[in-house]
Amino acid sequence: MIKRLSPWILAGPASLLVLVFLILPVGSTLIATFTDAKGWAAPYAAFFNSGFRRTVLYRTIEISLITTIISVVLGFIAAYVVAQMPARLKSIMIIAAVFPLLTGVVVRSFAWLILLGKNGILNTALLSVGFISEPISMLYTEGAVIAAMVYLFVPLMILTLAGVLEGIPKDVVEAATSLGATPFAVFRQVILPLAMPGLIVGAVLVFTGSFTSYATPQLLGGERQMMMGTLLYQRAMVTFDWTGASTVAAIMVVVTILIVVLMTRLARRLNPMAG
Amino acid sequence: MTVSLTLDHITAHYGSTQVLEDLSLAIKAGELVSLLGSSGCGKTTTLRLVAGFLEPTSGTIQLGERDLTRLAAHKRDIGLVFQNYALFPHLSVRDNVAFGLKQRGLGGTERTAKANAMLERVGLSSFADRMPAALSGGQKQRVALARALVIEPPLLMFDEPLSNLDAKLRVDMRVEIRRLQRANGTTSLYVTHDQEEAFSISDRVAIMNAGRIMQLDRPEVLYQRPANSFVARFVGFENLIGMTVTARDGETVTAVTQAGATLKLSQSVFGAIPDRFVLAARPDGLAVSREGEGIPVTLGIRTYLGRAYQYQCTTPAGDYLGNGPLTELLDPGTAAVLTPVPEQCCILPSDA
Repeated sequence: MIKRLSPWILAGPASLLVLVFLILPVGSTLIATFTDAKGWAAPYAAFFNSGFRRTVLYRTIEISLITTIISVVLGFIAAYVVAQMPARLKSIMIIAAVFPLLTGVVVRSFAWLILLGKNGILNTALLSVGFISEPISMLYTEGAVIAAMVYLFVPLMILTLAGVLEGIPKDVVEAATSLGATPFAVFRQVILPLAMPGLIVGAVLVFTGSFTSYATPQLLGGERQMMMGTLLYQRAMVTFDWTGASTVAAIMVVVTILIVVLMTRLARRLNPMAG
Repeated sequence: MTVSLTLDHITAHYGSTQVLEDLSLAIKAGELVSLLGSSGCGKTTTLRLVAGFLEPTSGTIQLGERDLTRLAAHKRDIGLVFQNYALFPHLSVRDNVAFGLKQRGLGGTERTAKANAMLERVGLSSFADRMPAALSGGQKQRVALARALVIEPPLLMFDEPLSNLDAKLRVDMRVEIRRLQRANGTTSLYVTHDQEEAFSISDRVAIMNAGRIMQLDRPEVLYQRPANSFVARFVGFENLIGMTVTARDGETVTAVTQAGATLKLSQSVFGAIPDRFVLAARPDGLAVSREGEGIPVTLGIRTYLGRAYQYQCTTPAGDYLGNGPLTELLDPGTAAVLTPVPEQCCILPSDA
């Protein structure tokens, strides 16, 4: 009897924790958006009728996708180089890549404030070289947000991909070469398909991370480059519009799931082995 | 079209460590030559040099009329079979076989037709749509073989292709490899550490040690007439007895061991005998008897071999292994005599 019940008993505390602190609050948040006095879908209509809020949604998707693509490309190149290195150098490079993760998101986003500000390092440097005649405003632009987010997420991408690329046996690459595959063909027909599982995991991590980010768009995007995370905060804590905030949250969940499913589908089309 | 492979005065280094020392090797068109040796002897390095995964420090590699020495690996047109199969895990068996054809720009239908025909030849037609993960070790290696053969390379190379298979399958596969290699008449380089495998499959075998070829010859010659002590020991001549000639009388040579035992050897049997030499013999080649002419020994442990008894024999100059007849059972501690059986022994130049 005890033996039959023991899995339930052991899984019990964690399940209860998840139920009380995750499923119930998220559930009640979502329910709030369907039980509005003005009709069950009214908050959503309000959201999509507002040009401003639509722009925020599109901007968030756009910034997250661009961040994901750049991170995938940069991360792949770095991970590929790292994977070729001798073991000792490899661990040093991995530690170097992970090092920024040891500081907080706020600290790292703040570093970009210092870099990109009106009197920031980049402007000062460009001015002193004579490349520009007066400081250009780089803060509170989409570019600033993307740059900072790429910087935040590339280590994650490198970590995910380095493991996968290291797992590709050397003799498989050599076999392809001996069969006449050019370095590009080896990359396209062997390495890329075999790295696909890692690419998907990395891309999903980066995309969901960027899509739900708050500190970076808040610091570097400000009011002008508002994203879903900052919009949610504004709705809840500035305007005290709880239903509006819940609607933003619900849309974020749906979009995230949609994009993740889409990415997995796409990757599976590229390679039947993946996923 | 079959071509020859020539390695001319190849020297190779890993970092500052020399792994091949002035190695020359010529494989005739259509011939299968094995590189045989323990790990670290340079056999795999030699294969990787020919494949183009390594560059020699000096020397040239020539395949037929083509100079391979500095040619990029993917332009060399060599079929390679690896120890770990190295199949593409994301491609079906058919696509694995067709991979090389695709690189050569063949169209889809032609690729499929050729791959199917090749799979038929290795008996894997019904597995064409499977993924490599769903195959046994022997099937995987047959796919690897088909993948290397289908591009009709002028040179085939095998890197310990049977090491990961069980004993029974190993014998089947090596017959299979030999059959396909013979059928196409493809010049082949085969790397292994397994003497039986090398001897059974090869036209000629190169026994390697410390980055050098110790002897390159037909298996029969290596087995019966090794050229030096290293090769002799490698092919099972466990007794190497250092001797010095003391007298010559026509064809008969009198020589002594380091312990002073005297042997009379005939040059009509052994060929010319130098003044200092090593008498090499397998246990079969040293007959143990209670008395007679030969090397006096004290018998040690006796083991039963079925066809004979084998004795450990102690002399002041070293220990030897000899075989005695089943009809005469000798006990440990007894004094006995070792007599070389001329047909089973050979004379080697002295190492010193």
